[in-house]
Amino acid sequence: MTPVEWAIVGLALLGAFFGGVAAIGIVRMPDIYTRAHAASKSDTLGAVLTIGAAALALESGLSIIKAVFLVVFMFITNPTAAHAIARAADDQGIEPWTTEDDS
Amino acid sequence: MSADEEPGLYVESTIIMTTVRVVAPFVLTFALFIMFHGADTPGGGFQGGVIAGSVVMMLAFAYGIDSTRQWLDVRVVAALASGGVLVFAGIGLGAIALGGNFLQYNEYLPYYAKASKYGIELVELGIGGIVAAVAIGLFFLLAAGFGHVVGEGER
Repeated sequence: MTPVEWAIVGLALLGAFFGGVAAIGIVRMPDIYTRAHAASKSDTLGAVLTIGAAALALESGLSIIKAVFLVVFMFITNPTAAHAIARAADDQGIEPWTTEDDS
Repeated sequence: MSADEEPGLYVESTIIMTTVRVVAPFVLTFALFIMFHGADTPGGGFQGGVIAGSVVMMLAFAYGIDSTRQWLDVRVVAALASGGVLVFAGIGLGAIALGGNFLQYNEYLPYYAKASKYGIELVELGIGGIVAAVAIGLFFLLAAGFGHVVGEGER
C-alpha cells in the first residue's frame, strides 16, 4: 500500500471512531445540552475526517473541490445547528442537568 | 432569554444570523444545481425545490418568523406555485397541441434543435418552483400554530 492509501484508511477509521463516539454520546448523555455537545463536536470531526478520506480517494479534480466545499460547510453549519438547538432549548426554559439531579 | 420572559418574543442570535447570511446564497445555488441535474444525474425538481424552500426556513430561524413573513409575501409564494404549474402544464399540453403525447419533447424539435434537453430542464424548474412554494407555505402554516385559525386574507 502506498502512503496515500494508508492515509485514506487512517482518516476513514478515525472518522468512523468519532462518529461512533457521537452516537454513544447522544444515547448516553443525560440532557439536551450535553447531547448537543456530543453531537456537534465529535460528529463534525467524524464527518470531516471521513469526507477528507473520500477527497483523497477521489480521482478527478472537480470531485475533490466538491469534497472540500462539503468540509467547509460542514464546519460552518454543524456547530451552528447545535447552537440553534441549545438556544431554542434555553428559550423554552429547559434547565441544564447538574450533578444534584443524579441522585 | 429567561423562562419568565414574554413567550413568542424572538431575540436574534448573531451566530445564527451570520452563518445564515454566509450560507444562504450557496444553498440557493446548490438548489438550482440539483434542479438542473435532474435529467442525467441524481437530483431533480423535487429535491432541488425542497432545498430552495429550506433557504426560507433558514432565514426564519435566523431572523424570526414575523420578519420573514413581511419579507416574503404569501402572494409571492402562491405565484411561485401556480407559475410552476403553468410552466409544467404549458410544456406538457403544448406537445399535445403539436400532435404528440403529454410531455413528448421531440414534438418541439422542428422549432428548436435542443428542445428535448431544455424541455426537461424547464419542467424540472417548474416542479422545483411548485415544491419550494408548497414547502414554504406549509412551513408558514405550521409556524402560525395549531390553535390559531387563519382566516381569509389574515396572513
